[in-house]
Order: sequence, then structure tokens, then C-alpha cells
Amino acid sequence: MSNLIEVKGVSKAYGGVKALSLCDLEVHEGEINGLIGPNGSGKTTLFNVVTGYERIQQGEVHFNGTEITNAPPDRVFRLGIGRTFQLTRLFTRLTVLENMLVATQRDEGWLRGVMRLAGSAGERRRAMELLDFVGITRLAHEPAANLSYGQRKLLELASLLVADPAILLLDEPAGGVNPTLITHLADRIKDLNRSGKTILVVEHNMEFVMNLCSRITVLSQGSALVSGTPDEVRTNPAVLDAYLGGEDDESTQLELAQEATHHDGTRVSVSPVRTPERSKLGDSPTLLSLRGVSAGYGGGDIIKQVSLDVPRGGITCVVGPNGAGKSTLMATISGLLRPRQGEIRFNGEVVSGLTPKQILARGIAQIPQAHSLFPDMTVHENVEMGAFTVSEKALVRQRMQTVQELYPIVRDRADEKAGSLSGGQQRLVEFARCLMLDPELIMLDEPSMGLDPQTRKMVFGMVEQMNQQGKTILLVEQNARAGLKLSSRGVVLENGIVRLTGSGRDVLEHPEIGALYLGGAVTSAADGT
Amino acid sequence: MTGAVTQTGDVAGAPAAAPRKRALTLGVMLIIAAVFIAFPVVVTDPATTSIAFFALVFMVAASAWNIFSGYSGYLALGHAVFFGTGGYAVAVAARDWHVAGGWPVFALCLFGGLVAGLVAIPVGLVALRTRRHTFVVVTIAIFFIFQLAAYNLGFTGGTSGILLPLPPFSAANFNQPFYYVALVILVLTVLVSWLIRRSRFGLQLLAIRDDEDRALGLGVKTRRLKLTAFVISAIPVGLVGGLYFDFVGQIYPQFAFDPLFDLSIALMAFLGGLGTIVGPLLGALVLESLQQYLTQTFSSDATYLIAYGVLFLAVILVLPRGVVPGVTEWLERRRAKAALSAAHERDAAVPTGGVAGAAQ
Repeated sequence: MSNLIEVKGVSKAYGGVKALSLCDLEVHEGEINGLIGPNGSGKTTLFNVVTGYERIQQGEVHFNGTEITNAPPDRVFRLGIGRTFQLTRLFTRLTVLENMLVATQRDEGWLRGVMRLAGSAGERRRAMELLDFVGITRLAHEPAANLSYGQRKLLELASLLVADPAILLLDEPAGGVNPTLITHLADRIKDLNRSGKTILVVEHNMEFVMNLCSRITVLSQGSALVSGTPDEVRTNPAVLDAYLGGEDDESTQLELAQEATHHDGTRVSVSPVRTPERSKLGDSPTLLSLRGVSAGYGGGDIIKQVSLDVPRGGITCVVGPNGAGKSTLMATISGLLRPRQGEIRFNGEVVSGLTPKQILARGIAQIPQAHSLFPDMTVHENVEMGAFTVSEKALVRQRMQTVQELYPIVRDRADEKAGSLSGGQQRLVEFARCLMLDPELIMLDEPSMGLDPQTRKMVFGMVEQMNQQGKTILLVEQNARAGLKLSSRGVVLENGIVRLTGSGRDVLEHPEIGALYLGGAVTSAADGT
Repeated sequence: MTGAVTQTGDVAGAPAAAPRKRALTLGVMLIIAAVFIAFPVVVTDPATTSIAFFALVFMVAASAWNIFSGYSGYLALGHAVFFGTGGYAVAVAARDWHVAGGWPVFALCLFGGLVAGLVAIPVGLVALRTRRHTFVVVTIAIFFIFQLAAYNLGFTGGTSGILLPLPPFSAANFNQPFYYVALVILVLTVLVSWLIRRSRFGLQLLAIRDDEDRALGLGVKTRRLKLTAFVISAIPVGLVGGLYFDFVGQIYPQFAFDPLFDLSIALMAFLGGLGTIVGPLLGALVLESLQQYLTQTFSSDATYLIAYGVLFLAVILVLPRGVVPGVTEWLERRRAKAALSAAHERDAAVPTGGVAGAAQ
């Protein structure tokens, strides 16, 4: 079996954040290779590097024996590598058929290109056949903007096939589409593979990946961790570690292992939703409560009937596989997304339906997932922006002082541009900015994303510190182990539904948490919902 | 997939309606052509025919500008460079080569177009290294460089400019030859615009407008394509530039390189509908005629600017994408609504096919 794509020792960093470090990847001719890994592990960046959208300083990319390192996207495509995007990209003002014709490849002089019709009869026929193949022929003359989300995914795939590429790189083809369409897509991908196309697919839907792929490569922290058959990958402990997050010090890992054996055989007590908690903070009054909250973008609900309580003064950690609705949950609480159903109470007062500004003023601050600083503004300016809504100057000065004492970096590097800081430092500045408002509840979305273990540990230390100073924390974390270990309370979200709640440790040790991350839903505990 | 095929009634129905529609389009075009050809014969008042000539010049300019900016989405605000270059090329050549006024100078307009096209190559190479807002600013900057050069270079005659040879036409029919030459240039420009719109080249330009990076990722040679469109769009502007200044009889810098020219053709295209074939023509016809009329009637240069502003605001508020797309869309929505209600009645008994794409 020859390698169609070979990636050797590729590294790529954005400012201080490392997206890829010495990453290797091999895609064999004729296979369906699945590329999986937690958020921020570098999957999309790797796609961008291979297809020429990102330039690299280190490493090599080969395609079919030709070196294509840093080749421009048009050349990469003409050589036979087609790709789709995570957020589907179409020419929205062109019709579906016109979208199909853009990629037709012809060797002709520019003058002929100017004079000749957009598509010859043969090219049009071929385009219609491909539309037929994915099942959207009847939409051929519709503007692409009128297509539904799923139809867009189908069109994006079909529009590549026009040029008959040797390999297709598919970035989350099943993301955000309904189950019927997922099956349809998987069938089409299998058909393409049978007709000789090699496929490399990034996907978070584990069931989809495990059923579709002949081989799976796991990326973690910007480099390839494991590569093997779906079964090998599923049972490899290192893979689960990558998803749940490795422990930072060995003693806790050992301790955990011992506890796991201790619990072996006995039913771990994880309470189903809406039953009294046994967590140590279970009795403390609730700061934030959600009752039957549903919300989503466009068509379907992303979070469905979510009910949960965030106890005052604790750290509550929400974990769950990608696409579970964690970020949507945060957006709903902060008011960026209006809940379609249900009620959110903060300090006893109903806040669902208020504007984000009003919710912020009530004392709920959010630190979004990565890169929320203004990179061209100085550190000091960024932190100052946090107190944008505070009009009292003395109060701002006083808080700035407190924040500077807490995070010396705010003073030490006050005049440097925020964009020049490393990933971990940027996190601290974000924390500092958030504290300028002196909020009661701080919502953190994936604070450890893209950070190396030491920095991650430091960031988690800071989260604990904020909590000790009286802030209630609601944490969304990819690194479930580290997040849950830190937390007084854990919540597992899957497919927009709360599957488990309990003390952080109980949730972490629940036997089915592995299955949850690597395919298959939690069955036993889900009965409660 | 059978479910998908059964619902293609509207597509299958299209060819049946096509010949009738084509005949209708052809008829309308013939009538419009007849009106344009007959106009200076029927209306002989020189004041009115000169308005008509100016309108034609701007219809060419707006249509040519649209070939690049409308199709590719790159807003160029420096096409006065090509208007002025074309004008100066004709004026300088007529002066230095002692070309007689009238038809020989008209022939020189071809030279003006050629020079404008050649100038567009380095200008495009520089400006097209940038995108979006930066591109707009760079085109404006390049425009001012040309204006400055026209003031200061020796062969342009500096501030006082150059006089063009007087055409040997009788006073009564003076405007007619200019009018018909401009009409020929207009027909050719619209023909090129139409050819490009339906060509593979045009499709790729439109793809660049919608998502340049993805177009690049589909093998579109974006850089070469944009430059080609830029040069093609400069040539007609240079052609009518030569003709325009021949008509006026003289050329000098602030007139040849006029920032209002750039704003005008952009406004005309926006008003009519950016990226359409008819839109810029309609916009130019209305706006330029209005402007010339107001200037003649009130003998004030500023009145038309106020009218421009009011009209532009109205369009932005009511038809933000321009008159032509706005009206077309409105018509289509009405037709779709009618078709939908008809389809509902038809499909009520038939369960929808299980096409996965349709389910979402």
C-alpha cells in the first residue's frame, strides 16, 4: 500500500499557541482514514497545512511522491486533493449548478476561458449526475443561499467531485446534520471510496467515524498519538487519556487507579438528574438554576430541556464530547442566545430573556473559548476594557490594583500588545479582564484549550484561586479529568441532554464515561432523563 | 433518488417557456436598440443630444467598471485613471501627430483604449495585491498619483491642458457622429460584459466575489483572473475617455482625473444593481441624464450632488442591492409564492420522497 499523503514533522504555531508540533500523518491509497482528537488538537490546522491555506516553517508535506509543502491552494487542488470546510463554504449567490461548475478543470488559454461558456454540455451533464449522486438534483437552479444546512454539506462535497480529485479531505461532514442525513452521507462516502477515492475525514461523531473508517489516527496536542483500526483505537488507554485529559502529576494518577480498582465491582454512585445531591456543596444555596431550558441556532435545538443547579461558591464543571452543546449552554446563560423554552434564574431572579448586557450587569461574566483578547491592544487596555461598563473611576482604579496584585503580568507587561503573549499568559489577561467587573459567577469556556500541561496546570490553579476568593465558577472543559478533579460538581452533557450529575469525582469515575467520549451513549444513567 | 426526480417539474417546465421568453427578450432589445438609434434623428435639439451623448459615455464607463468590480466584488475607485489616460493618449497623439479633427480622432480613440489597457496592467498588479478596504484605498491613492502626474509632466501641457482639433462637423449635426460612435462602443462593451457573464471566466469571477479563498482552493487562478478582468474593464473606459474629451474639445488635469467620476460610475452601478448586466446601464442612463439636465437647467454644478445624495439614500433604504436585483427578486418571490401554493395543492396527496437533503 502506497502513501497518498505523507506529512512529516510539521509544526505550526499561532502567536504563543502551538497548533501542531512535529506532527506526522500517513494516508494510504484507497483507505478511509479518520482523524480524531479533542478540540484544539490541530485537526483543522493540519487540513489547512496540507491544502495550502496555512504556511509552515517546519516539516514537509508530500502527495503521491511530489512535495507540496506550502504549495498554494489552487495547485494543491489541481494535483488532486479536494477538501470541505468545517463551516461549509459555498458561493452563496451562485446557483447550485453554477457552484458545481466552478471547480471544472480545463487546460485552456486565458482568452478561450474568457470566451467560452461557463460549462459545456458535457460538464453540465456530469455536474447534474453528481448532484443526483448526492440527491439534490431538484435544487440545481436554486441559489445556494437557499439551501438548508445539510443540503449545503452535500453540495460542497459534490462540487469537489467535479474535478475528480484522488483524495477528499472532509472536515466534519456530519457536524450539525440530522441522523437521516448522516447515514446518507456515510453511504455516499463509502460509495466514493469503493469507486477508488481515498478519504481523510475529521469528525467528532464517534459512531460515524468508527463505522466508516478502516483506519483511525488520533491527534493530541498537535501531534499524532496513535494510528490503528477502530477497535485498536477504541481500546487504547492513551486515546481515552487524550480525550479526558492526562493527569498532570503521577501520584494522583496512581491514586485514581487505586480508587478505580477499589470501586471495581461496586456500583459507583452517580445520581441521575434531579435527585438530591450528595456532593459536599449540595446543601449550599443555588446561585444559578436552569429549568427545562432548550435553545439552538436555526432549525433544531442544541440543548434540550436542560435542568441544572450551580451551587454558590463552588466550581461546577460541564463535560461532554464535542458538539454536546456545552458552548451553547454558556451562550444561553449569558444571553447571547435566547432560550426557546424554560427558565434561568440567577440569585432567585429570572434572567432568561434579558439582554447580554443586563445579564452581565447582574454579575455573570463569561470568558469565551480562546482568543477573546484584542490582539492589537496593549495588555493594560485589554484589562481596562473589562470595566467598560463601570463608570466610577475610583472603583476601576481600585480593581485594577487588585487585579495587578493577583496577576503581576498585567503590570509587568502592561504596554505590550496582547497578541504577543503566549497562550497561557493570554488566559491570565482574560481572567484579569473578567475580574474587573467583579462578577459573582464566572463562566469559563475551555480555559485549557491549546495549552501545554504545565501552563494548563497553572491556569487551573488560577481558576481555583478565583474560586477561593469567593467567585462561583461554571467551567466547560474538554480536559474532563483535570476539570472534574478541580470541581465540586460535575455535569455530563451529551447531545444537548444532561446525562449525569454528581460530585466531580463520582462523575469522573463513572464506568460509562469512556463510552460517552469514544462512541455510544450512556444508557443506564440516561434512563433518568 | 427517485423522490428528487419527481419534483423537478419546474425545471422540466423551463425549456417549454424558454423560446417564448427568448423571443420576448429579443423583441424588447430590438425596440431599445431602435430607440437608441433613432433618438438623435428624432430629437435634434443640440442640448438634448449632448445629454444623450454624455449618458452613453457613462453607460459605457459604468458597464465596463461593473465587469471588474461588479463581478469580482472588488470595489475599484480609480477608474478615472483610465478615463483620463484614454483622454490624454488621444489628445497628445492628435497634437503630436497632427491628426485632423473628426473621424481621424475617433480612430485615435482605439489608441486611447489600448493605452488605458496597458496602464491597467501595472496598476492592477500593484492594487490587486490587496483585498477589500485596502484595495479601495490603494485604487484611490493610485488615482491621485495619476492626477499629480498630469499636472506636472511636460507632455500633458500642465494645468492649462491640451486643446483637441476641432471636428469639421456642421453646428446643427455636431453631436450626431459622437453619439453614434459612443453607441457602437456601448454595444461592444455590453456584448463583452454579457459574454463574460456567461463564460467560465465570469463564473470564476463571481466565485471570487462570494468566497475568494474557497475559489482558490477549487483550482481557480484568482490572481491572473482578477488582473485580466481589471484590464478588460479599463479598455472601454479609455475608449470613451478619448471620445469624451474630443467632444469637450480640451483636456486638463482636474477634469481628466476627477474623483467625482469614480464616485459617479460606482453610484450608477450600485443604483442599477451591482454585478448585473442591465443594472449599471440603467443607473448610468438615469443618473447622468438627470445630472446633465439639472446642470443645464439650474446652471449650477452642485444641485445634482444633492439629488444624487437623496436618490442614493432612497435606494439604499428601499432596494439595498440596486434596482435590477431588487425588482427581479420581488418578481421572483411573487412567482415562487404562486408556484408554491399551486405545488401545495398538487403535493397534498403525495407524501414527500425520503431525500435526506430535503429533510433538514
